[in-house]
Amino acid sequence: MDQLDILKSKWQTQDASLPRYSSEKIKSLLHHKSSSIVKWLLFIAIGEFLFFSLLGVVAHAFNKDYDFIEIFGEGFYYGTSAFHYVVIFIFIYFFYKNYKNISVDQPSRSLMKNILKTRKTMKYYIWYNLIYVMVIGMWGASIALDNDPQTIALKEMLAHDRGELLVDLMIMGIFFVSYAIACVVLYLFYLLIYGILLKKLKRNYFELKKIEI
Amino acid sequence: MSKNQEQEFVRLLEENQNIVHKICRLYTNDQDAHNDLFQEVTVQLWKAYPKFRGDSKFSTWMYRVALNTAITLYRKGKRRVQTQAYDSVEFKIEQKEEDDEMMEQLTLLYGAIKQLNDIEKALVFLYLEDKNYKEISATLGISEVNARVKMNRIKTKLTNIINP
Repeated sequence: MDQLDILKSKWQTQDASLPRYSSEKIKSLLHHKSSSIVKWLLFIAIGEFLFFSLLGVVAHAFNKDYDFIEIFGEGFYYGTSAFHYVVIFIFIYFFYKNYKNISVDQPSRSLMKNILKTRKTMKYYIWYNLIYVMVIGMWGASIALDNDPQTIALKEMLAHDRGELLVDLMIMGIFFVSYAIACVVLYLFYLLIYGILLKKLKRNYFELKKIEI
Repeated sequence: MSKNQEQEFVRLLEENQNIVHKICRLYTNDQDAHNDLFQEVTVQLWKAYPKFRGDSKFSTWMYRVALNTAITLYRKGKRRVQTQAYDSVEFKIEQKEEDDEMMEQLTLLYGAIKQLNDIEKALVFLYLEDKNYKEISATLGISEVNARVKMNRIKTKLTNIINP
């Protein structure tokens, strides 16, 4: 019998030293709010869906000022919007499917895997949106070059004796850097949130995975 | 859920609450955090209770939900409030003289287990609760062979901590 087996017998006699909650106390605990990471994952996901949907609406409203429909035609304008919302609904569907697979009475490894899968869906969702923002942003910028009075004024200011192509490239560059900075900041913000939320889970998941290697 | 279900659940949890208290003692460092984790485990058990079909024993099901809550879902795992550190108060319950040695050994054991990581704690906890490797592997989602290999390594680690 090794030392741990001796301690095992002691372990099983510790009941008297444990706290004892009455049935009233247990009853009072039942309806408390959960503070589990799964709940936070859901809140963050809802926040992300709302944020990016709102951003999409704002971006389209902003583009309207440039007579987007007139330049590109209704089909193209509504087509991209429809595509965007279909993609969002596909993401919501996958998120919901993954979320439903999370069950606290699964084996620990499956539970962790399912939570990480849900987080992965949200990561792809963020990537999709950042790329979408970038593309729409640059697209808007290219239209602004010839249509937006403010951008035209900026072009004239930069012009001097520079060629038009160079000025256009400079302005596109400014737009690109601004969008890229916004996207990076947003991405880092989500990395931080998920990093804090899932740090412990990830550590334990890799620890379990290590046992299986 | 019906009133009857609630009563039945409360009765089952009251009967088996020691399992949760032991897990709370392993994964938290003070009384506030202990109560907090106990509450979260209770909420998770209650939320999952409609899915409990009675195929396994309530206690077996409880081990899984409680451990999953402690190692996966609970967010405040590393909170350290220095008001009433556990190690100094946890065994202050009136004990008979002959129990002193046992309590000392238990304190030593808890102290040693607390130096392990979350997964090692879960493995050693199930082992100390006299669960066989089949149950341990089913609870954690690892193979029986690997659970056994890992447990042997933890045993060595614990012995080294206890007898430096």
